Amino acid sequence: MNIEVVEERDNDVLVLLPVDRLDSTNARAFESIVMDHISKGEQRMIVDFSRLNFISSSGLRVLLIAAKKLSATQGKLVLCDMQEHIHEVFMISGFDQLIPIHESRKASMNVF
Amino acid sequence: MSNELRITLPARLSELRDLAGMVEDFGDANKLPAPKVFAINLELDELITNTVTYGTFEPGTDPRIDIHLKVECDILTLTMEDNGSPFDPTVDTNPNTSGPLESRSVGGLGLHLVKNFASRISYEFVGGKNRLTLEHDLKPA
Repeated sequence: MNIEVVEERDNDVLVLLPVDRLDSTNARAFESIVMDHISKGEQRMIVDFSRLNFISSSGLRVLLIAAKKLSATQGKLVLCDMQEHIHEVFMISGFDQLIPIHESRKASMNVF
Repeated sequence: MSNELRITLPARLSELRDLAGMVEDFGDANKLPAPKVFAINLELDELITNTVTYGTFEPGTDPRIDIHLKVECDILTLTMEDNGSPFDPTVDTNPNTSGPLESRSVGGLGLHLVKNFASRISYEFVGGKNRLTLEHDLKPA
């Protein structure tokens, strides 16, 4: 199944906004979009969660792969603007200690 | 809509979206808190993905999943049955939820999430089916 991902750019930072659900039906589609950008040389990436209502471990898996890939080339992945119940998924899985999460897009831009 | 929802579906990931919509309608009709509706849909995503990906079914079996949701006495109960070979997901899977990025994987993470979102979880193999029961307290203890 496809996923709608809005793409924006702020200088050399690519911002991806997945829309609605990132679950086991569309995680592969999201993975191919993210990995396509990384293979084309993107180094600084924000995934903005402001339009996302649902994530499962299939979605976490894609973010883990992307974070590892970017880290290997001194790049960086940052997440922002998560709803409370989605943040809870990150805390329970320990992913909040793994990938930086910021309250707002503006705050996440400051880490680059 | 009543305080119970029963759905039988083929063991396929493509069923998840329609199912999520039905769970949301059930949540609206029963005035369930949004975080509980989210928990049920997260559990269904993780459990159905596991069954579809790792479940084994006897030759000639039509892989099916039965979902039952019920609200009673301030407890929201999700029961999921499948006709696959016996598999107990309540056995500890111990995913790695700390440590550096390089050492992490998502193996076992789905079930770890399920166990954390449910208040109580139990498993039995009965009548040739795996039956997993997840209870969620609707009022704080």
